[in-house]
Order: sequence, then C-alpha cells, then structure tokens
Amino acid sequence: MKPLSGIRIADFTVHAAGPFCTHMLSQLGAECIKIESAQRPDIFRKPHAVYGRAGPATFDQVASNKLSVRLNLKHPEGVALARQLVAVSDVAAESFRAGVMARLGLGYEDLRAVKPDIVMTSVSSSGQSGPDSHFAGYAPLFGAWGGLGHLTGYEDGPPVEMRHVMDHSVGMNAALATMAALHRRRRMGQGSHVDVAAREVASAMAGEAITAASAGIEPRRMGNADPQRAPQGLYASRETDRWISICVTTDAEWVALARLMGRAELAAHPAYATAAARVARREAVDAIVRDWAAVQEAEVAADGLQRVGIPAHVSWRASDIAGDPHMGARRAVVEVTESDGRRRKAVGFPAGFSRSDAPGMDRGTPGLGEHEEYVYGELLGLDRRARDRLADAQVIY
Amino acid sequence: MRQDGILSGLRVVEHCSGVAGAWAGRLLAALGAEVILIEPPGGLELRRRAPLFDNGSSALFAYVAAGKRSVICDLSGREGQGQLLALLESADIFIDDTPVAERRALGLKPEALAASHPGLVYLSVLPFGAVGPKAGWKGEEVNLIHAGGEGYLLPNGLSADLFPERPPLKIAGHFAEMQGGTAAALAGLAALWSGTGQFVDASTQEANVAVGCFALQRFGDGSVEHRLTRSFRFGGVIECADGHVELLTLEERQWQGLLDLMGRPEWSRDPALDDVVERSARGDEINRAIRAWARGQNVDDLVARAQEKGVPMARYNTPAQVLAGAHEQARGIFQRQCLPGVGEVSVQAAPFRIGEAPPRCAGPAPVAGADQHLIARHGTERKVTA
Repeated sequence: MKPLSGIRIADFTVHAAGPFCTHMLSQLGAECIKIESAQRPDIFRKPHAVYGRAGPATFDQVASNKLSVRLNLKHPEGVALARQLVAVSDVAAESFRAGVMARLGLGYEDLRAVKPDIVMTSVSSSGQSGPDSHFAGYAPLFGAWGGLGHLTGYEDGPPVEMRHVMDHSVGMNAALATMAALHRRRRMGQGSHVDVAAREVASAMAGEAITAASAGIEPRRMGNADPQRAPQGLYASRETDRWISICVTTDAEWVALARLMGRAELAAHPAYATAAARVARREAVDAIVRDWAAVQEAEVAADGLQRVGIPAHVSWRASDIAGDPHMGARRAVVEVTESDGRRRKAVGFPAGFSRSDAPGMDRGTPGLGEHEEYVYGELLGLDRRARDRLADAQVIY
Repeated sequence: MRQDGILSGLRVVEHCSGVAGAWAGRLLAALGAEVILIEPPGGLELRRRAPLFDNGSSALFAYVAAGKRSVICDLSGREGQGQLLALLESADIFIDDTPVAERRALGLKPEALAASHPGLVYLSVLPFGAVGPKAGWKGEEVNLIHAGGEGYLLPNGLSADLFPERPPLKIAGHFAEMQGGTAAALAGLAALWSGTGQFVDASTQEANVAVGCFALQRFGDGSVEHRLTRSFRFGGVIECADGHVELLTLEERQWQGLLDLMGRPEWSRDPALDDVVERSARGDEINRAIRAWARGQNVDDLVARAQEKGVPMARYNTPAQVLAGAHEQARGIFQRQCLPGVGEVSVQAAPFRIGEAPPRCAGPAPVAGADQHLIARHGTERKVTA
C-alpha cells in the first residue's frame, strides 16, 4: 500500500500552487477528486498567451493520477453535491481568493457541518486573514512581497522574479501542513483549517535574512556568491551555455581543487589557504577557476570534481534531467500512460519508502468529467437517472 | 488550540549538518514536534554559517534551529553511538544527512537501525538521495538549484535583459535546500502515517526537479526552456523612481486596469492590441512603454493605485519592509525571541498555519548541549563534552 492509501481528497484547487499540493498527496496514495466545470475549467487546462507558448502549463504533471468530475458551483444543487463529496472525504482543498468558498456556501464552517473532522486546506496569495487577504497574486508577486525577490539577483542588478518553483513550493508546504493536520485528526479526532499564504512561504524561504534584518543587519543581493565561501559560483565550460556550479567550503576541498586544476602551488599558498583568505580574494580565486573551467567539458569536469570530494554539478536543462540514469534509477522521472495509450515523461515523488509501496502516478491526465460514474455513482450513490437529471439541470456540467 | 499542539507527542531526533535536513526538522518543530538536535563536540557547523549577527553568531542557525533542543553526542565513539541508540528508542522520526559512505562508522546503518528500532522512521535527507549512481555526490545550495533545473532558467525579465551574457543565477539563500527539507518532512510524516517504521530516502535534487516540473513537461511537449526566452512577454520586474515593483497581468480585466493606470496612452489605442496573442507578440514594445512610464512613478503610490484597479502589482520588499509589513504584523507571522549575545530578534515561525492562531516555536535556537539531560534520562551514562 502507498502511505496515504485510504485518504480521500475533494480537490477544488486550480492553477499551480493548490493542485501541486494535492498532486503530492495523490502520489503518496490519497484518492484525489478534481472538481471543475465545463464553463470554468482550471485555466491551466489551456494555454495562455502571456507565457508565449502554445501548450498548457503544468496541467498534465499535476493533474495526473487525479479523478475528474464536473460540478457547477454556481448552482445551489451543485453546492449541495459538493458538500456530499466533502462528507465522504478526509480533506477538502481549495485555492480561491480568501472568502470565495464561504460565499459559495463551502466555507470551513459549512464543510464542518457535513463532515465534523474535515481537514480543509486553503492555499491563497496572502492568507485567510489580514488587510491584504483579498489580493490576487502570482508567483512573482509572492516573491516580491516576501522579500525573496529583493534578495535574489546580481549584486549590481535589479531584483529577480520567482517563477513556478515558487508556486509549487507553496503547494509542497500545503501538502506538509495538510499531512500534519491529518495526524492531529487521527490523534485527537479533530479536523482543522490549514491556511497557507504564498507570500509567507516566500518570506519563510528568506527567513534567515529577515531574522538578520530584525537585528539591524542589512542583507543584500549577492548573485551566486556566499559571504563565507570562495570559490562559489557558475563557471562557463568550453561548451556553449554549459555551466559548472562549484562550491568550495573547506580548506581540504580547496587543496583538492588546486591539484585537480594542475595548480598544486596554490594548495598551500597563504593567499588562498583559508576560507577567509579566499573570500578576501574572491575575484582572483574566481578568475583562476574560470580559466580552468573554460577549457573543460562540463559533465567530465563535474564528475572529476566530485571524485576528489568537491561539490559540483552542471547547470542542468530539462533534457539532462529527462535522460539522467540516476533520476531514472530512483524513479524520480517516470513514464505516465494517458487514457489514449500515449506515454509521456513526468516527475515522480521526491522520496522513496522501504516498506510502503512506491509513490507515483498510475494514470495520466483525466479528461474533464472522466470519473463521474465512480464518484457520483459509486461514492455518492446517484443512479444513472439522477445523474442525467443533474446533467440536464446544468449541475453536473 | 495552539499551533504547537498539531504534532505534539511526536519526538524527532535530528542529526544533520546541512540546511535541507535542518529545515525538515525545523518544520516539524514549528508543528509542535519535540525535535532534538544531535551535535558533535564543538557544536554544529551551521552555528557559524552566514548571515551572521554582529556578535558573529549565525542568523541562519537562529532561524533553522528555532524551537529545537540540543544534545552533544560524539558519534565517533561507541559511547556516543550508544547514547543515540538509546535516544532513538523513544523517537518517532530520525532525520539524518550523514553521507551514505560515512554512516556505518557512526553506527547509523539503516538495516541495523531497522532491526533494533522497528517502529522508527529513518528519514535520510541527502543532496542526491541514498541510492543510485550519484548517491555519493556532494551538493551545496548552488549545486542543487542547478541540479534541479531551475538554476539554468534564472534570471528572467529585467535581469536577463540587462545581463544576457552573465552566468545563470541562484535564488537567494537556501531555496533549493529548503525544498529538499519540506519534501523530506512531508515524506517523513507520510511514512509515519503508514504505521510502519521504515527507511525514507529523500533527495534534495528531486524535490527541486519536482517543484520545477514545468520544465520537464515543456521538454516533453517539444521545447527546451531557456532563461533568456522564459520571461513574461511584458510586465515582470519594473523599475520605478524609488525602487522596483512586480507587475503581471494575466487576465483581460487586469490588462485593462493597467491601461487605466497608465492613463490610456496613445499607443494602447491600437485595436490590434485587443487581441491577447497580438499583445504577446508585441510584448517588447509594450514593455518599453511600461518601463519608460514606471520610471517616473513612486513605488508605494503606484502599488496602491494598481491594487485599486485590480492590477496585480507588488513592491519588491526588503527584509526590513517584510518585518514592518502591516499584513505580516496583522497575521503575527513573526515571533520575538531572545538570543544570548544578540538580543531580541524576529523569527518567522512557519510558512503556514493550522487554525487561525499564528504558529509558534517552543523557544529560540538552543545553546549547544542545552538539553544534555535528555541523554542521561535515557539510561546511558551522562557525559557532557560541551
């Protein structure tokens, strides 16, 4: 059995962050019922021109393994049906603006009325309370609000916007908080309302700088550098746009690097022998490594660096990840089969278990409404006639 | 009920030198678990990692160790190993980031622990996981953000326009390692949920590939993303007279709001721009107009007017501005803690809350060996080496 086998999620989330939360829990074995409607499908089902691409965004990745039903939440009977779904679920997840679920009649109190120990997980831009709770937002705004964007960037350049990793990090945190709430429910018999504010996830990722700032330290942008480590950075290899990340912390690593570069004379040279000395001469140290890296083949160099104990890795593209034997061996990259038999690569769950069944995806992207017979028929006990009537009334719609 | 009761009763023992494992423990501590740090004689290296306070102590440690307890335990000898094994008798989760090749020497062989502690979740948190061809590889933050694919894709927008020749850029701080920690904490709680003790093999690289899953999917669709072409067609980081804002209009009404905000300039009256695809194609032209206009604007005033018109825009907050933020204060996300030699500092207790009350850590980051009695209590000879 997968670890969360037996857990059921009524999933009202849309876009990136919320669906990533339930995607994690689904891969761990929870049964996740994705609720959309034909009028208002998850906008991530379709392409969006501002991204300048033709295909949909992460939809296939995060919708895989989920069950899909249509449900019109603008219809009173749709809301009633949604409550019935929640009543047979352990978790209800949503990612609308704060207050929207309550206006639909699906707020935490409404859900508790039909399922007293429900764990409701709300993922939003700024949280369920506070003066900005009505703000709409996207990943780059979360990063800006939370301080992470300000701190990211070249030393002499502007701040940098966070992209999908920010959304998905919010989802990962939401999955963790949901999991914790489930543990409490098991122990105490109580449900709870999990409130995940994306901007608070962003500020948590910058938490050490914020804590430093609270003591009067002023943290600054520093590109790829680290105030205590040199060399640290991205170094161009002889291949076009192929960069090697290298990080030297200890003096032993420096000695190993100097020898590897054929510069043994630098190993014990007082100008470079300690971290403080290397940091003080960061430019010179970087130039030495840059000259060496510039004639290297990137993967060979990274492998050679690792062999002598130096943290290094090529700056990887998606193509590197897709074909990597290490990731493949670990089931970190998996193949998913769509309902039409087409196969595609997807990202697996980022951990393995020795005794539970491996997490992962057993199905591809569900078609809109593909699992209504199971969900409305088997789970809610609606026969074919009842379902047809609800379809005609534009409730299952 | 207080947040710190969510996982109360759960005992976690943490033996980690890196941020990923420490962050996993920190999240569980924020959720109310008792988390006990195992530190080597002399204390963890993390206690000396930047950013530093004026007295030389670590703000990073103050942040990632808040709410934890500390015992000093020398795992290089049999006595220390015995103390750890005894402590694990009462633990639910053991978080360990010891490199695979060094585990045996410290008495941390997963198979042996599974036999002696069958109910324990042994949560291994390593840069590239505990098995596979790269299991022995080392990885620090700058390596991991690139091993996961996102590093190659940064920066975008204004930074990419200004410095197209520069190397790709990491996210500030320990973003990649924290993804590893969050995923590991999730996996650890999932293993605990299964009801059976087991070994959990978490990989920080994989956590980053997971949060960066978009890139792999795009690759499957036939396109390889690149930092210089991934930028939003218009909007993004925008420089104002006194700072930077982020602007992103994904919906039609937001675009219309932006044009209102800009006073409906002449160029925007081109009917062809009513088409969202055309707009996207002419993004560079639109962005030039937005950037030129914004340079005469004041950040706070502009953001306030943008919010009124429903235009998604945010100020690029400095850490001090986050601390002083009215929203953050109203939600009480920061906890005041007193650190020896530093004084009062603010620590964000957690990235989430359960219930309405803000989460709280049980206390500040511990002094090394502050909870040495925990070892003695578990029946082995007390030995304080601090």
